[in-house]
Amino acid sequence: MNMFSRTDKIVDPTAGGATAARDKVEAMPPSAVETKRPQAYAAPSDFASTPTRTASVISKALKITGQLESTEDIQVDGEVDGDVRGLSVKIGSSAKVKGTVYGEEVELAGTIDGKIEAKKVVLTSTAHMSGDILHQEIKIELGAYVDGHCRPEFGKVAGKSGHATVKPMAAAVTPVREKAITDKITEISPRA
Amino acid sequence: MPALSPVMHVKLPAVGDDTDVPASHLGKALTIKGRLDSLGAVHVDGRVLGQIAADRLVVGAGGYVEGDIVANDVRIGGRFTGRIFARHVTLDSSADITGRVFHHTVTVAKGARIDGRMPWRPLNYFERLEHLREAQS
Repeated sequence: MNMFSRTDKIVDPTAGGATAARDKVEAMPPSAVETKRPQAYAAPSDFASTPTRTASVISKALKITGQLESTEDIQVDGEVDGDVRGLSVKIGSSAKVKGTVYGEEVELAGTIDGKIEAKKVVLTSTAHMSGDILHQEIKIELGAYVDGHCRPEFGKVAGKSGHATVKPMAAAVTPVREKAITDKITEISPRA
Repeated sequence: MPALSPVMHVKLPAVGDDTDVPASHLGKALTIKGRLDSLGAVHVDGRVLGQIAADRLVVGAGGYVEGDIVANDVRIGGRFTGRIFARHVTLDSSADITGRVFHHTVTVAKGARIDGRMPWRPLNYFERLEHLREAQS
């Protein structure tokens, strides 16, 4: 699909149109210019064997030193020396990560030396976790190694415990407006 | 200069591994800042800012790489800024390249945009590069 992105002004509007256009190109007689294109793209299809469901795959042959950031899923089977950010991050059993893994969902079957910050965390039986886990929900399978704190505080620092953090900060920074703010808070939460 | 015909297949140590070493795929939403070292194939549809060393590297049409590439085999369909050191280089028609391409053999498709030089180098130049690469990592 991506192989058409340079020409997508012409072919992209419908997916069917893209494939139709491609078929058309391939069906054309082998004139010098037109056949160049499908030929040029023959090699990327070699990679069709890699699972396309996961957006990115770091295979076990790959070592990355640095940061990974994605708005899609990441499957890590190799070695990462740095932070990993993704939507759903799966750390395979052969993987090693040194750094923080952020995500909505993190599934660990390999080794992490660092931190996990995710809404949903799953440590499978082969997981080896050295470091803290910040989560909302967690599942730890029998056999998983965990050395660190598990804190159910994912998302709380910036988000939902709003009253508790805002109140002293506002008081410290702007003492003049303190009264007004505390009044507001007492209105909102009757326990104060 | 020795016979030219076997040149294509002279000493590509990792090509045999290519089949059993799974390829890495960096999706278009992925950005990597840093170094990539791979014994196998790497397919980039996202963005990589940094150095890449791999047996085989493909930068897809939507991909962008900024930095140095050291590989046996490089195929560029996207945007690239930096230097390429590779025995075999293929630049697809959608390629947009700024920098230098050190190669032994090169294929350039009609439509590829190249801003820079493409110096030819003998095969042993790339062997020396690999030693360099090992020393770096």
